[in-house]
Amino acid sequence: MLKDIRVSCAPHISEPLSTRSVMVDVAIGLAPAMAAAGYYFRFHAVVLIATCVLSCVATEWLCDLVRKRPNSLDDISAVVTGIILALSLPPKLPIWTAVVGSAFAIAIGKMAFGGLGANIFNPAMVGRTFLSVSFGVLMTSWTVPATMDPAMPAIAQGNAISVRTQATPLAWSKLAIKNELGADIYGEQQFSATLTGEIGGCLGETSVIAVVIGGLYLLIRRTISVHIPLAILAAALAFASIAYFIDSYVYVQPFFHLTSGGLLLCAFFIATDPVTAPLTRRGMWLFGIGVGTITMLIRIVGEYPEGVMFSVLLMNAVTPLIDRLFKPIPAGGKPGV
Amino acid sequence: MKLRAIGRFSFPGGVHPPEKKTLTSERRIQAGPAVTEVAVMLSQHLGAVCEPLVRKAEAVQAGQKIGDCDAFVSAPVHSPINGKVKEIALRSHPVLGRSLAVVIDALPHHPTKRSYFTLDDDFDEGRYSAEQICEAVREAGIVGMGGAGFPTRVKIEPNPRLPKHTLIINGCECEPYITSDYRIMLEWTRQIVVGVKLARRASGCTRVLIAIEDNKPQAIEQMSAAIREFADGGNIQVVPVKTKYPQGGERQLIRAILKRNVPTGGIPPMIGVVVLNVATVAAIAEAVVGKLPLTHRAVTVTGEAIARPGNYYVPIGTSVEDLLEFCEGVTERCAKVVIGGPMMGIAIADLKVPVMKTTNAVTFLTKEQIGRAKFARRQTACIRCGRCLQVCPENLNPTRIAHAVKHNLLDTAQRYYMSACIECGCCSYVCPANIELTGYIKTGKIFVARQKKKMAQ
Repeated sequence: MLKDIRVSCAPHISEPLSTRSVMVDVAIGLAPAMAAAGYYFRFHAVVLIATCVLSCVATEWLCDLVRKRPNSLDDISAVVTGIILALSLPPKLPIWTAVVGSAFAIAIGKMAFGGLGANIFNPAMVGRTFLSVSFGVLMTSWTVPATMDPAMPAIAQGNAISVRTQATPLAWSKLAIKNELGADIYGEQQFSATLTGEIGGCLGETSVIAVVIGGLYLLIRRTISVHIPLAILAAALAFASIAYFIDSYVYVQPFFHLTSGGLLLCAFFIATDPVTAPLTRRGMWLFGIGVGTITMLIRIVGEYPEGVMFSVLLMNAVTPLIDRLFKPIPAGGKPGV
Repeated sequence: MKLRAIGRFSFPGGVHPPEKKTLTSERRIQAGPAVTEVAVMLSQHLGAVCEPLVRKAEAVQAGQKIGDCDAFVSAPVHSPINGKVKEIALRSHPVLGRSLAVVIDALPHHPTKRSYFTLDDDFDEGRYSAEQICEAVREAGIVGMGGAGFPTRVKIEPNPRLPKHTLIINGCECEPYITSDYRIMLEWTRQIVVGVKLARRASGCTRVLIAIEDNKPQAIEQMSAAIREFADGGNIQVVPVKTKYPQGGERQLIRAILKRNVPTGGIPPMIGVVVLNVATVAAIAEAVVGKLPLTHRAVTVTGEAIARPGNYYVPIGTSVEDLLEFCEGVTERCAKVVIGGPMMGIAIADLKVPVMKTTNAVTFLTKEQIGRAKFARRQTACIRCGRCLQVCPENLNPTRIAHAVKHNLLDTAQRYYMSACIECGCCSYVCPANIELTGYIKTGKIFVARQKKKMAQ
């Protein structure tokens, strides 16, 4: 009556979750940002995203081949790395640069450590750092969105800026700090532009609305927990507020820091990468506070206009230590010896 | 200690698997199959294994003690039927692999089925002393019927070093599919109240809390009504708790209701609490009032793969095969037979496995049900998402422990408190990477136990 019954250890049922479903969720969460990128930066944005995804997948396939490991493409994590890398690139980056960055991200950032789950650093940020260091000029050439009126005055008034490229809001605010220009010329118009995304910047970071919609999707699906995004944003806001209250002439208003640059993209999609973030809730808080604070330190005190990339990598490096620091104690207390 | 608002008692962590209780929740407890042969395991409990008291070919009576042991932590076993000992041989045991059992052939034309136990209206637990109750519980071979099988006498007996004040009756039944405790609460309500009073008297507890998950409103209502009617103002109270797995774990239950933690590696009496399952309490009433040993129990036969799911009152020692036949076989392609529920139950390969004192259910799962679990999807590397940490009711780091065991680093596993794991399966249940976390941890615990044994020698 009964043939072929299986034996395994309990539990015999499970939630319909898989690594792939988690990754697909992240990809879906990134869809609004991709759509915004496509809308504002047109064809080249689509080409860049497709290039990054394809080269990430191809690199992972090659690495598996070289390491003689089973094909690991079906967990979709390479696709997510490709999308995140693409969204953090400048809009007019040459295609070959994106290919190089993607290959580096996967080969060195992920597969060299042993593949998914073993990498210490966020692969996409490793790739982006590599590109920033190697191709500094290409990585800081910002084009205005295609939808923007070329006649509109550039944000950094008084600076010689060509019609086709424009400083990002953050680059401009850095300029204000360095030259002690007044920060208050940053007007209402530009603020609303950061919300919709009609402003210079990386592909996926310009549109706050798109990023937040995607982030909320991940939160509602419980793919990510609220701890890391909340800690990052709260820490960044607190730090920016301190700077603003010290000298509100030079430093821009705190909310500007939340809406511009890659902070939101980082808070929802990059820092929340489970592999490189701490395991425990308390660890997540510390990690998020660290990312937010270091980002703002770099933006306000440091040399670079944007600090998300480095802050994520720095906090990734200390994640194992954070995990050790917040080792969970059993609910019943430590066992007596 | 004051109880917080009713209904929402809960503990941190846990999961919400689909309940699936409607398959059998409306089916009354019926008589099980008329068995021709039973195999009574000599080890149905935690503690020392019993020695057989009968020989091959010896005639035995229903209720006759057939195995016992002098050890303190042990419980005797009894024959559920009139018959003749066929052999004392190894049989498949769900936990121990192969273990000794007394196999009894039922005599034809003899009643093999015990009629249900009845109570007089003028029951008064004052007629029994605590010692009498404890002795009756021990003689009847009562063990925890919720799953662990800890000898009940050891639990309820007053211990001057660990005085007990609160008795928690566990009617949570948090495992999916299982409804035997639910039906017992509905159908043997009075008997449970009597058992509760006896257990209270034996243990010297001053307060009794009957915990029932809030997905069983009928049981909550009926138990409350019975207590109002029979409980003579004693400090007995029904406590609805939040429906969540593993709410029925005694450590979780104590944490949920009393907001206190049982020390890691400790037992509830250390904080003055005793937890007894409702089926155990019902058995106590039978043992003390009816002088009936624990030879039968209510078992839920359920799962999508069984033709006639239901709750059956069967002799202990009935084989799963007999139950399957009695329930008209499997409907669809059955892929797994599980003793217990799907979260903590043990998948068996041999259908000759007998029902034991701790068997509250036999679940027949289809491929669709288990397809969602482990083997249908590829296992990937741990993506460190931390879901296992969030659901762990004991606040452990399951992924760290499991990977330490996987790489044979038992010291690391111990440093992450492997021994505090209650093996509830929540971590494996949520793991998106499909890692058998619970399996690894169980393996690690076995390794450590073996090492300790070796060192002792």
